[in-house]
Amino acid sequence: MHPFKELTIAGFAEGLREKEFSALEVTLAYLEDIKKRDGTLGAYLSVRDEAVQEAGAADLALARGEDLGILSGTPLAIKDNILIQGHTATAASKILKDYVASYDAGVIKKLKEAGAVFLGKTNLDEFAMGSSTENSGFHLTRNPHDPERVPGGSSGGSTAAVAANLAVAALGSDTGGSIRQPAAFCGVVGLKPTYGAVSRSGLIAMASSLDQIGPIAKTVEDAARLFLAVKGSDPLDNTSIGHKYDDKEILSPDFEKIKNLTVGVPKEYFIGGLEKEVEDGVSAAIEKLKSIGVKFKSVSLPHTKYALSTYYIIMPAEVSSNLARFDGIRYASGRSDVSYSHPKNLLDLYLADRGRGFGPEAKRRIILGTFVLSSGYYDAYYEKARLVSALIRKDFDEAFGDVDVLLTPVTPTRAFKIGEKTSDPLSMYLSDVFTIPANLAGIPAISIPVGKTTEGELPVGFQLMGRHFREADILGLGFYYEKLK
Amino acid sequence: MASPINKKVLQTLAELARLELQEREAGKLLQDLQKILDHFGELRELDTDEVEAELAIDETRKIFREDNERKNTDLGQGKESFPAKEDGFLSIPPVF
Repeated sequence: MHPFKELTIAGFAEGLREKEFSALEVTLAYLEDIKKRDGTLGAYLSVRDEAVQEAGAADLALARGEDLGILSGTPLAIKDNILIQGHTATAASKILKDYVASYDAGVIKKLKEAGAVFLGKTNLDEFAMGSSTENSGFHLTRNPHDPERVPGGSSGGSTAAVAANLAVAALGSDTGGSIRQPAAFCGVVGLKPTYGAVSRSGLIAMASSLDQIGPIAKTVEDAARLFLAVKGSDPLDNTSIGHKYDDKEILSPDFEKIKNLTVGVPKEYFIGGLEKEVEDGVSAAIEKLKSIGVKFKSVSLPHTKYALSTYYIIMPAEVSSNLARFDGIRYASGRSDVSYSHPKNLLDLYLADRGRGFGPEAKRRIILGTFVLSSGYYDAYYEKARLVSALIRKDFDEAFGDVDVLLTPVTPTRAFKIGEKTSDPLSMYLSDVFTIPANLAGIPAISIPVGKTTEGELPVGFQLMGRHFREADILGLGFYYEKLK
Repeated sequence: MASPINKKVLQTLAELARLELQEREAGKLLQDLQKILDHFGELRELDTDEVEAELAIDETRKIFREDNERKNTDLGQGKESFPAKEDGFLSIPPVF
């Protein structure tokens, strides 16, 4: 392993400024290490040679005394459903195997302005559909803490890369927990920002009313830095509303203010089926926060148990519409292994290309979405789910009248074994039960490791959820939690 | 209650969704979907008569761009990804 493995975003910036190393040196070390170690881990789908030039440019800017971007030279990993111009963006689907992005995603534009270096694109469940990265159309990703276990998903490649020190930090996307659940499984920090805080232009859409891009990092402080770099409005995504954040409040949280926050613990999140280690970990986190004077209160979010069903109606409905654009024609440069050699007509070609190009989970969700939107079932399923979603949101509104932040487990269990849940989709869906509500409500939520994971143990995380656009509250609490270690 | 989805319905849905299903995958898919839809049944216990559908939509503001002349989308790079092309156009099999 190389000497830069413990680097954080903050540590990298300092080291670069103090000339302890060059950006090129660090990027080369990471690329070399990926070549050496990622064969067994499987975090990356592709590596970018351009990273070397990007790092060189950062060093040159520093040598010339130019103003450095806040992420100047920092080697990052990007989930492969986010577009980087000129590089493949497969969303881990065979149907997009050869697709080369023709433009930069909104977040990539912002990261380029900040001077970041992109090491490569990370593995995910196909089109971000899954909780274990086992649905990737290409290969498995292993949990860096136990190679027999999954890294979680769908951003499992990004969280595994950060946990295994194959990137300083990463971007993921979260529709029902796809940043937070794998962050908890891999023992890293993952933030799903408020819906509307970050542009999704150039994110291969899964469920547009829920998708959000967010940072995956080794520390809460790093997550905050990366969040500040990507947030903001974008003319190419009208849901990114350009909320005016107080950057200073997020970067250097005021301890007096943070310790006076009231944290609610919703009883519905401590149900049967919660693994003992997870329950113990969350209790330990609560005790630690109490020790700095944070007040806790028991609250109720009565409609929590309905969130899973609600989500698995609304999300597939949007999936069936969003994935209609993939017809095997428009986003493929060569269709040799997917395509149907002598199609009679265009419909024939669509049926064959889509039938062969999509994996089982994508098909399941497309069909499910087509069903819940079909005439005769629309009211009973889709409309009903929209109404229940409103009730779930109301639960949060009421709870946030009483408390500032909510603290819960991230997942019912720690990382499960590879293959354990692949044959039963419903049991796989259940691993998102605690993360889904934040997406339905559009609120920010963060997954933070309870403590440092020791050799031979599996990580446990806890989740903090905040009011809309109050990332400062959950990041601030997390920031001081980490200082307690 | 009989499941609202059966082999015939699944076939129709697959056609609507433009998916060709192999016999073997259709069987497993049908089982999975029946189980998932059965789970959704829990939503029926909830009374939602009083919930305004409008509640589901947050306060929004309309976002308009200035009505100026704009450069057309550059097809240059998009065209690169056509699997088959003739004279710069996408080549496809006959529609009918």
